Formats: sequence, C-alpha cells, structure tokens
Amino acid sequence: MEEILKKRRTLQETMNFMAALSAGIEPILGRGANSMTMSAGRNLGRKFSENAKHTDDLLQAIDEVRNILVANHCLWGFEPFKPEEQAEMITTDEKGNRQIFIVFRDCMIRQALFRFGHPQKGSLCNMMYGFFAGALESIMGKKATLDIKHAGENACLKVLTVEA
Amino acid sequence: MFAMFIDEKACRGCQLCLDVCPTKCFVFNEETKKSVVARLGNCIACMSCDYLCPSGAISHQDHHVVKNFYRNIHFSQRMEKFL
Repeated sequence: MEEILKKRRTLQETMNFMAALSAGIEPILGRGANSMTMSAGRNLGRKFSENAKHTDDLLQAIDEVRNILVANHCLWGFEPFKPEEQAEMITTDEKGNRQIFIVFRDCMIRQALFRFGHPQKGSLCNMMYGFFAGALESIMGKKATLDIKHAGENACLKVLTVEA
Repeated sequence: MFAMFIDEKACRGCQLCLDVCPTKCFVFNEETKKSVVARLGNCIACMSCDYLCPSGAISHQDHHVVKNFYRNIHFSQRMEKFL
C-alpha cells in the first residue's frame, strides 16, 4: 500500500510539473507548443501500440486503445457517446470520414491543470490527443484526429475522426 | 438515478447554460423566459452549466464525480514547499 501511495505521489508531482511546463512554453512558442506536444504524444501512442491487434472496426479499435492504456498503467477513462438525436454511434461526414464522440471523465491532465489554475485545451491536452490519434493510427492504419469539442470541469467531449 | 434540475425561481433566463452545453441538453422556454432540461440523456455531466450558472440554479444528482486524486494529504504536504 505504501508503495502504491508513493508511486501516486510521484505521478502527481510529475503531472504538476508537466502542467507548469506546458503553461510556461505556450506563451513562448505559441501554436508551436501544441504541435510539439501533439507530435510527442503521437509518437508515444504509436510506440505503445506497436504490438496491438489491428482492426478496421472503429469501436474495437477504441477498445484496443483502452487496453493499451490499461497495459501501460495509464488511468485515463473514456467512453463512446451517442447523442439522443443521433441514430448511430458512428457517423460519416461528407468526405466519408468516420466520426464518433468520446467522453473523457477521470483525466489526470485536467486534474493537474486545475490544481494550479492552468487553462484547458492547451499543450498537455494536445499531447493526449496525439497519443490517442497515434495509437489509433497504428491499430487502424488510417489517419485519425481527436478534436476537443468541449473541455468541462468534470468531463470533456471530443470528436474522433478517422479518415476514409 | 442520474438527474439534472433547474431551480425555476433562481433561473434568470440568461441562457448561458444553453451556450455552454456541448450536447444541447437545454432549451429556452419563451413563455416563462427560463431554461428547461430537454434532453437529459445527452448530458455528459461535464458540470460546466453548474459552474457557470450565475444564480446557481442548476444541480445534478447521481453523476460521476471525477476522481480528485490531488486532494491527498501526503501530496499536499510535499507540495507546500512550492507554494
């Protein structure tokens, strides 16, 4: 138990350091900060999913990303979301890209940002966007983006788009 | 069971909740000039409406509360040196 608490404290301190670092580089690098962290996250996502099961089914691929996170001890819960007025969970846009809403609840990045009053949708959020997209690209073999539709205090809503 | 309430007496009809809600849970009643919950099933419990409402008229029940692992006594003690 003591070992777990020690690890958690280390993680929390690291996350706070990351939040402070990202808040610090954003004013200096501007939009480049987001690109930089997204690229880092994407590389990590690809690396983590090297041995993941490949599939073309979007829901299965999302489950596989979840498995990768669990296997790497990452606590980042998410679930697909279907609005009431939408008939299907997965929709297709005019370009033929598949889209799905994903709700993120227990997010350690959000917690780290709030701890010291940093704004959301910044470079750290983009790092996780990159991670998710990178992992999904490896699994599905297609380009993916995860846009932040809404960053809330208790949950975030994102739109995952997988190119046709 | 998950539920969301708007205190009708408290609601000023500012429509901030309509603006902030990403899943369009609210509609504005033109007769009463107040917000009403129209699509509860769409609520993701982001709590933005709850935090934003100037009159504190919106409340949620039985929603998932994000794990606040920063409220940890050991952690707080260690962080004191930075504060």
